[in-house]
Amino acid sequence: MAARSRSQEALTENLIFHRKAKYIGPRLALVRRIGFVVNPIAGLGGRVGFKGTDGVAEQALAAGAKPTAPERARGFARALVRLSKDEAAFAFHWVTAGGDMGAGPLRSAGISADRIEVVHVPGQPSTVEDTKRTVDECIAFGAELLLFCGGDGTARDVADAAKDRIPIVGIPAGVKMHSGLFAVSPEAAAEILVAFLRGELRIGVAEILDLDEEAYRKGEWRVRLFATAKTLVEPQLVSAGKLMVEELSEEAVRAELTTHFSELFEANPDTLFLLGPGSTIQGFASPLGIEKTLLGIDAVVGGKTIAKDLNEAEILRLLDRTSKARLVVSPVGGQGFILGRGNLQVSPAVLRRIGTQNVIVVATPSKLAATPVLRVDTGDPNLDEEFRARDYVFVIVGYRTSKLHPIQR
Amino acid sequence: MANRDPTSWMRAEYESLVAQSLDWKLRVLQGPSAPRSMVDGKSVIMLCSNNYLNLSNHPKVKRAAREAVKTHGAGSGSVRPIAGNMDLHEELERRIARFKHREAALFYVSGFAGNAGLISQLAGEGDAVLTDELNHGSIIDGVRLTKAQRIIYRHSDMGDLERALKEADQFAKKILVVSDGVFSMDGDIAPVDQIANLSEAFGAMVYIDDAHGEGVLGDGGRGVASHFHVEDKIQVELGTFSKALGVVGGYVAGSNDLRNFALNKSRTWLLSGSHPPAVAAACTAAIDVLETEPRHVKKLWSNTKYFKKRLVSMGFDIGRSATPITPVMLGESSIAKRFSERLFEEGVFALPIVYPMVAKDRARIRNIVNAGLKRQDLDEALGAYEKIGKELKVIP
Repeated sequence: MAARSRSQEALTENLIFHRKAKYIGPRLALVRRIGFVVNPIAGLGGRVGFKGTDGVAEQALAAGAKPTAPERARGFARALVRLSKDEAAFAFHWVTAGGDMGAGPLRSAGISADRIEVVHVPGQPSTVEDTKRTVDECIAFGAELLLFCGGDGTARDVADAAKDRIPIVGIPAGVKMHSGLFAVSPEAAAEILVAFLRGELRIGVAEILDLDEEAYRKGEWRVRLFATAKTLVEPQLVSAGKLMVEELSEEAVRAELTTHFSELFEANPDTLFLLGPGSTIQGFASPLGIEKTLLGIDAVVGGKTIAKDLNEAEILRLLDRTSKARLVVSPVGGQGFILGRGNLQVSPAVLRRIGTQNVIVVATPSKLAATPVLRVDTGDPNLDEEFRARDYVFVIVGYRTSKLHPIQR
Repeated sequence: MANRDPTSWMRAEYESLVAQSLDWKLRVLQGPSAPRSMVDGKSVIMLCSNNYLNLSNHPKVKRAAREAVKTHGAGSGSVRPIAGNMDLHEELERRIARFKHREAALFYVSGFAGNAGLISQLAGEGDAVLTDELNHGSIIDGVRLTKAQRIIYRHSDMGDLERALKEADQFAKKILVVSDGVFSMDGDIAPVDQIANLSEAFGAMVYIDDAHGEGVLGDGGRGVASHFHVEDKIQVELGTFSKALGVVGGYVAGSNDLRNFALNKSRTWLLSGSHPPAVAAACTAAIDVLETEPRHVKKLWSNTKYFKKRLVSMGFDIGRSATPITPVMLGESSIAKRFSERLFEEGVFALPIVYPMVAKDRARIRNIVNAGLKRQDLDEALGAYEKIGKELKVIP
């Protein structure tokens, strides 16, 4: 607590300095301002097999996790620089927090310092309060739109602070991204910003959904609607809020999938099957006597679970011992992500070892019908491209039954 | 000893259907299925039978049935492979083959029995079946009985079919492509020419269920393959006598090899009692009528064009139909149900098609135009549509 107070004091001094330096004269009214805030620890839990980072950041760091948010924020900024060359509309200023929470990633992408106004200097390590404070200051300093980089937890904090005063758009970097605020990738977030600056987008409302992380880590799937927030409306690029699928009417489908996978496991007794998270996969695994965690990656050989709730390193160790491996994944709700949401343990390194051709996508027909397009966001553009180049993927929807479904380009 | 109630589950399931308004409420036809029928004690204009050409009331067809009862009795006595194969059945199959310009045909108890019994035999382990996502339930059941890999392609989407063919080409010994010729909910026609050409390129067998195209499309009502002039590229045509031909029973038409294979392998054919003589004779007579009286098909189309044109001019959305199946799109299920009830009160019998048969916001009344309807019947039905459409604020 003492450390926090000291950093708060340092912050106040800095702010006074910035206010004096930047906000004198008529420039204030002429320059458009866009707010930016990064939750530097978002996504930390993913690769080590945690189902979120809320309250377990230290544990995740101890388990060897590296935060993904700063890199994602830089990816966003680089894409923006690429997209916004030579256009007068893009002569706006950034209002943001100092260091990892904003100014750092922007500068490292080549955005010049005189276009970045630091309105809040976070403590070390930064906290939720820093996020909320930054949002508040951005708005006070005239931001007309705010982009944040994080996951569902960050979305909740940002929306809470923004209080519907300006629209907010998420750059995906968390473990869970159920909320409709998120662009489908950092690059897509940059496209949204460009479109906004050109006046091509409207302000709409999105739902903020999040899992109850306490329950989530115990294997219970509880998605709650936490709030709504203003966002930009771009149906092709912004994820739809996660749709809850009616489970009861799907019993027959589950039985078919059970038979299908039972045959598949029987026909490939030596293959290592890595079963991804989600109720669809658990739905067919459990009747086969396979111990399947709802939210983790579990390993199955010869129809038996050999390891549960694996992290990236554990998966790689298992892959060292076998030449035949297949990964079974299911799209996440209406957003349609088959990789990069809720299964970050499947890192680019893991995917390369398994081979993209050995990824089996499974979905119930109703879930697939509610998913206009499948998406991948593996963290490696080359791997993403391997999927996207196919245009379509085969999705198992029943016993020996598949459907072609488009994958987003 | 288990404390088990053997039957209470049936009532529970039924009650849950009733609670969701998903149960069928049967109407009773008191007399023939005709352009004007007596239904539940009320005289109504019939707009929901599949009796497209009104052949069920044709004097020649009815006479043939009566004569066959006199000469061959009421029943056939057995399944066809044992002692129920009558000359009337063989004659009918020769006439089907001739009508369809095919080598041979095989008559099944129903179209459903044809699909369920034959598709399941045409593909097996190591093969692939490619099937349109909106195919009829009997095709779905036939496909489900195979051990083949099944790939469902998007409705009439030839890009999707081609991708599926390429995928199947990687692993399948045999490939079977199955599609309805005319889709019964929307009345749209499958691009059978493109299906045939794409399939040919991959050496795939094409199976078209033409239940709603027979007697409606093509030269003299010969069906969808004739409509697209691709008979030589379609290996299996399934048809039915229960719709435009006005009787009952299904058939497949194709090569001699197909007939020999089907009659030895389809359990629905081998193990079903054969049709009574009256049915077989009436079916033959119905083909006779189609071959000799082209006016029925012409009248069906002139009625269809008139009915559709008037509905559109009133402001109704009639979907993408290209056949006498004429949906009137109403959106919400509750509006479609109310519309249908009001039509019945006004003396028009047309049933609503609601979720889950169609998407939640695509509820409709499905009208099936009939060649036997007079201009005055159509005007009366259209008058009811206009009145109720305004009443329920569907049209301005």
